[in-house]
Amino acid sequence: MTAYIIRRLLLLPLILIGVTLIIFSMIWSLGPERLLASYVKSPEALKTPDAAERLIRKYGLDQPMPVMYGKWLLNVLKGDLGYSLVGKAPVAKAIAERFPYTLELALYAFIPVVFVAIWLGITSAVHQNKFSDQFIRVFALIGWSLPDFVFGLLLLWGFYAVLGWFPPGMIDTKYEMVLRSPEWHTITHMPTIDALLNGRFDIFINAFKHLVLPILTISYLWWAYLLRITRSSMLEVLRKDYIRTARAKGVPEKLVINKHAKRNALIPVVTVAGGTVIGLLSGTVIVETVFSRTGMGRFLATAATQLDYWSIIGGALFYSFILVLGNLIVDVSYAIIDPRIRLH
Amino acid sequence: MDKKPLLEVKGLKTYFHTDDGIVKAVDGVSFEVYSGETLGIVGESGCGKSVTSLSVMRLLDEKGEIAGGEILFDGKDIRALSDEEMRKMRGNDMAMIFQEPMTALNPVYTIGDQITEAILLHQDVDKETARKMAIDMLRKVGIPEPEKRVDEYPHELSGGMRQRAMIAMSLSCNPKLLFADEPTTALDVTIQAQILELMLELQKEYGMAIVMITHDLGVIAEMAERVVVMYAGKVVEYADVVTLFKDPKHPYTWGLMNAIPRLDEDKDVLYNIPGVVPDPLDFPKGCRFNTRCPLATDKCRTEEPPLVEIEPGHKAACWHIDRLVEMVKVSRAGEGA
Amino acid sequence: MAKRKSDFRKMMKKFWRNQTAVLGVVLLIMFVIIAIFAPQIVKTFSPKAAARAYAEDPYQMPRVAWTSNPLPPSKDDPFGVIGGRDIFYGVIYGTRTAFKLGLTVAGLSALIGIFVGSISAYFGGWVDEIFMRIVDIFMSIPFLVAAMVLTTILGKGLNNVMIALVVFGWMTTARLIRGNILQAREEQYVLAAKALGQKDWLIIIKHILPNTIFPVVIQMSMRMGSYVITAAGLSFLGVGAEPGYADWGTILSYSRNWMTMLDKAWFAIVFPGVAMVLFVLAWNLVGDALRDIFDPRMRS
Repeated sequence: MTAYIIRRLLLLPLILIGVTLIIFSMIWSLGPERLLASYVKSPEALKTPDAAERLIRKYGLDQPMPVMYGKWLLNVLKGDLGYSLVGKAPVAKAIAERFPYTLELALYAFIPVVFVAIWLGITSAVHQNKFSDQFIRVFALIGWSLPDFVFGLLLLWGFYAVLGWFPPGMIDTKYEMVLRSPEWHTITHMPTIDALLNGRFDIFINAFKHLVLPILTISYLWWAYLLRITRSSMLEVLRKDYIRTARAKGVPEKLVINKHAKRNALIPVVTVAGGTVIGLLSGTVIVETVFSRTGMGRFLATAATQLDYWSIIGGALFYSFILVLGNLIVDVSYAIIDPRIRLH
Repeated sequence: MDKKPLLEVKGLKTYFHTDDGIVKAVDGVSFEVYSGETLGIVGESGCGKSVTSLSVMRLLDEKGEIAGGEILFDGKDIRALSDEEMRKMRGNDMAMIFQEPMTALNPVYTIGDQITEAILLHQDVDKETARKMAIDMLRKVGIPEPEKRVDEYPHELSGGMRQRAMIAMSLSCNPKLLFADEPTTALDVTIQAQILELMLELQKEYGMAIVMITHDLGVIAEMAERVVVMYAGKVVEYADVVTLFKDPKHPYTWGLMNAIPRLDEDKDVLYNIPGVVPDPLDFPKGCRFNTRCPLATDKCRTEEPPLVEIEPGHKAACWHIDRLVEMVKVSRAGEGA
Repeated sequence: MAKRKSDFRKMMKKFWRNQTAVLGVVLLIMFVIIAIFAPQIVKTFSPKAAARAYAEDPYQMPRVAWTSNPLPPSKDDPFGVIGGRDIFYGVIYGTRTAFKLGLTVAGLSALIGIFVGSISAYFGGWVDEIFMRIVDIFMSIPFLVAAMVLTTILGKGLNNVMIALVVFGWMTTARLIRGNILQAREEQYVLAAKALGQKDWLIIIKHILPNTIFPVVIQMSMRMGSYVITAAGLSFLGVGAEPGYADWGTILSYSRNWMTMLDKAWFAIVFPGVAMVLFVLAWNLVGDALRDIFDPRMRS
């Protein structure tokens, strides 16, 4: 097992370099003129006819690809991801500011996503082909076919426009000023947690209200995915010989399922669940846009529409980094959790 | 041998409802098991011998059901018991060990856990005592350093030890009847002998009955006192072990006996039963063995022979038992007798 | 050969017995009919829009109103109007877009995937190692994010969307084919053919590929749905199809202007939304059913 982990760790920098190469070459293909647009903060700078050429040379936008790539990569390693037009700040700072909001959303969504999916998946497998199974499977199938923005919009329509219960956005305007006031201590940058830390339970409730619909949107889609994995894992385990042995010993059916089957069935599920947080983090682009929430996702979406290239690259790099890290954690934890692999 | 049998199976029919049709895995099987004795059930794979024992323990999966017949264990009607009553009997009054100890043991729990679980389910003791009992059991089945082994996982033990652990687990509550479904098939030959010896010792000590299910005639010869020979879901011969080996009456049994080399006979040619085991979805009409039997006649192809008692304690299902001598000619032809 | 034919017939029988599979096929047929007869359907149910359609570019949703306010469904515009455009037209022609996009992307990415995967599995060694690392690298960028970056670079338009989806969509097929080939290589019938002196490439074509192609077909069917969804997502975000293009995601993107009063624009969500869900559902049902009948066969 250690050999496996070492190999994965050694491949890690290679994969990251590869990712940076792909992303950079996409941007590089734009050509010097279009790249210049990201450096120019106002049209004034391009007034003179040769201004463009001058600036291109100044920023080194006409150099050969490997040189540009090398320079850029060095900057990235130093933490300089360029300047963000959308964020009006260095890209790295813009990302750091927005990431906690996305993290908050992912963390809150994680619990209902994983636990409800496991519960539904196991129930579905245990009652295979009976009504509850059919119902759950249809439920999952629809979730799988439902795009997140459609579902999010539908939820917004029903629960906000029609019922007025759960609003989009981060927080009600009346509380926004509290957050900007000097007495407010921004510790984690996550509104709900900071609200609790600042002792403002009313703000916590309000911020949470704004989280309900996004969490619901994310949850349904992820349930559809996790549920199937849990279900098929459980079905496979229920066919195993040791389940028959347990019954032959006289173990009551409830224990057969909850003790003997679950433990084995959940091994692959737990590792996938680990990847869920990561998936949640990288999948918030649409949800944040639909619900007008601050965060990495909307940052990237806005950057894309405004052709803010350095923001786009920075965002893409960041998301890839999370994904690679997440996959590594999932692979390693799988090796750890399964005692058959652990003890070899 | 007691007068009243511990287990009576009468006309058992177990069918499986598959997508491709109904599989009549067991189609009218009858036999008795007396306490303290070993009954062997022998036959090729697919003949229904495993399904028979699973039926008695009511461990069939959702597709299978007992479609007919009677099962009486210790006087109780097994088919009439509720699920809960049946569950209490499993592991307690009747137990089962399986062919593949690696897959039959739960990989994520220690063997100690799995044995104490059995004990705690059926006996009124606390965890400490149960653990001590488990360790004792492991020692009894010949596992060295049981105090250490009790906390190990199944994959940390060798094949032979795993099977011993399985035996320990199934005997931990002193059942009256033990089903052993091909317990040594997956083991090395040298280990096989040890396991069989162990089972005989424990049988003597605990006084339990054993139903030994196998395709291996060597195991039958070693372990069984009486034998049931099954073919395509039916009993074709039923006798004590000595008679079965010396004087088989059914052509199939005869074929089995003469297909293996024997130390007590001088054989140059081994008999080969022609043909293959029939498709369980489409058994032949009449006597199910007729497609492979050199003695088959039209009667065999249309009417199914009943299991009749030829002599006390010896039953066979064949229309032409009297013509069995011809089989001898068939096999001797190769020897130039 | 005869055995394979009866196997096939058995599988087909099992397929048709599955009710959800039949439902999926029915839905697909419905969509195919809508796509083929799009012009006629629009002419019948929304003549005003049909009259205003652009002859040079039928994929542009015609303007039927000069207010940007959403107009609820009416006799003239059965699905309503948003951003001045007829939603019914957009949904109907959007069916064609969905098929065009889905089939092209699924087909191209499958081809590339099969090519890379086969080469990787055939040569093995460091060729395999390199190709699989490349696959790993491509798979390390979240799909939507990667597509977004590429469409931003290439610009709006359906063709660019398709390019972006293909560039980042071929990897799963490559892995699948490679895995299947590696597995099949160890199968008895391949070893037997080799022992008989059969040429390598003939073995691949005659023995290995037929058995590994089916999982790819299943995968393609499942991916159809996700490609359409991702493409619609890109359009929704504004980095997908051109403005006004008859695409379900584009229609939905118009509703972004009415976020605070979605009850006035519900029809811009519901109609394209339902169309999308049913379309993806159909492909998922069919792919699922195909996998159900193929898997047990593979396992036995």
